[in-house]
Amino acid sequence: MQNDSTLIQQLKNKDERALSLLYDKYSGAIYSVILKMIRDEGKAQNLLQDTFITVWDKAESYDTDKGRFYTWVYRIAKNKTLNVLRKTDVLIQTDDFSVYDTKEDAVSIDSEYLELNGALTTLEAHHKEAIELVYFKGLTHKEAHQEMDVPLGTFKSYIRQALKQLRETYAKTLSLILLMLNAL
Amino acid sequence: MMMDKKSLLEHGLLEQYLLGELNATQCEQIEVLLASDAELKAHFDALELNFENIGLDNSISPPAVVKSQLLARIKIAPAQTPEAETSKVVSFTPRSNTKYYLGIVASIAALLMIGSFWMYSQLNAVKQQLQTVETNNTLLNTTIETLNTELERTSSFYSDIVGPDTQQYILKGNALAPEAKVVSYVNHKSKSVVINTERLPELDDDHDYQMWADVEGEMIDMGVISKDKTLMIMAYIDHAESLNITIEPAGGNDHPTVARLVTNVYLR
Repeated sequence: MQNDSTLIQQLKNKDERALSLLYDKYSGAIYSVILKMIRDEGKAQNLLQDTFITVWDKAESYDTDKGRFYTWVYRIAKNKTLNVLRKTDVLIQTDDFSVYDTKEDAVSIDSEYLELNGALTTLEAHHKEAIELVYFKGLTHKEAHQEMDVPLGTFKSYIRQALKQLRETYAKTLSLILLMLNAL
Repeated sequence: MMMDKKSLLEHGLLEQYLLGELNATQCEQIEVLLASDAELKAHFDALELNFENIGLDNSISPPAVVKSQLLARIKIAPAQTPEAETSKVVSFTPRSNTKYYLGIVASIAALLMIGSFWMYSQLNAVKQQLQTVETNNTLLNTTIETLNTELERTSSFYSDIVGPDTQQYILKGNALAPEAKVVSYVNHKSKSVVINTERLPELDDDHDYQMWADVEGEMIDMGVISKDKTLMIMAYIDHAESLNITIEPAGGNDHPTVARLVTNVYLR
């Protein structure tokens, strides 16, 4: 994580190698988010490319004090994807959320791409779903609680609890890794 | 919405902020709180790391072509990006470029004008030189013509003098002109007479030497001898028995003044 700040400084100085390395590090996670939102591999690849073009062009405006680089890139990717979805929505939207159902029916992608992995799988189903809706489907909290059909307050506590559990899981994994490193 | 640390945490606003769900005003307020509260910032940092880990857990490798296209695009991009910082630069460059190009164009125009003047003056000079050359050429041609005429004349003299059919007669001066000597070359085949008057004494302006041929007792005019030539072609008279030279009034006479005969020779 430390050499991220060096890479980011180089990126701001228009160093192509820095962009290349940051892309290698984060493109997989970002691609996954875009793909799960738009459910179309071609569009997802274009959006991923667009996202990193913006990262390249706007690197100067990224402020390290305000948050992590990944968060910044995630927001760019999410906004771009939502814009594309909204444009498409105008044509097919019948009510607020039918677009997502319609999309699921209309576009077929490898279901493997929609599966969740890692620590998320250890969560209870409703916690996992809450995270999935806001993080991988691009829904706002307001949209997501309606989608899950629970009060907003309840939904927010789902998110909080889910994140707390995940934090513990990651901490365990980290200590396990540290133990293994010590053993070596 | 009034924001403080407590409501931030209770309303899950940090999560929404992280996910980019909030508007610009809310974002600003949260950023201010984060900057001033280390504990809140630490909480947010943990949240960010959490979300990042979720993301990395779920990575899906995009096809390699996306990256190669991306890197290709950023190499062309600088000329196309309509970004603020580039537009600042762009607005500047055209003006200086225009000036630069105008300067170049003006320089070229000035050079062309100077060049044109120079070439014009050169053209005039060349025209003058050409005229001089033409004049010289005319002079030379005249000289050549004169020389040719001269050469032709000399050649004809020469052929007359050295031809195998040419006979040489020497007219020696009598008592009237004892030092006179005229050499005459007579060619009966080509019917020509050439004389060398080098040794004829000079006459005053009122008199000329005249040459006569004696044909059966009658003296026939062969021509007046010019004062400024040493070699002269005279008229050839058929059946001439002798050649005679008399002193006559300037311009010649119809009949010879026999009393002033200076020399004669008989042809055999």
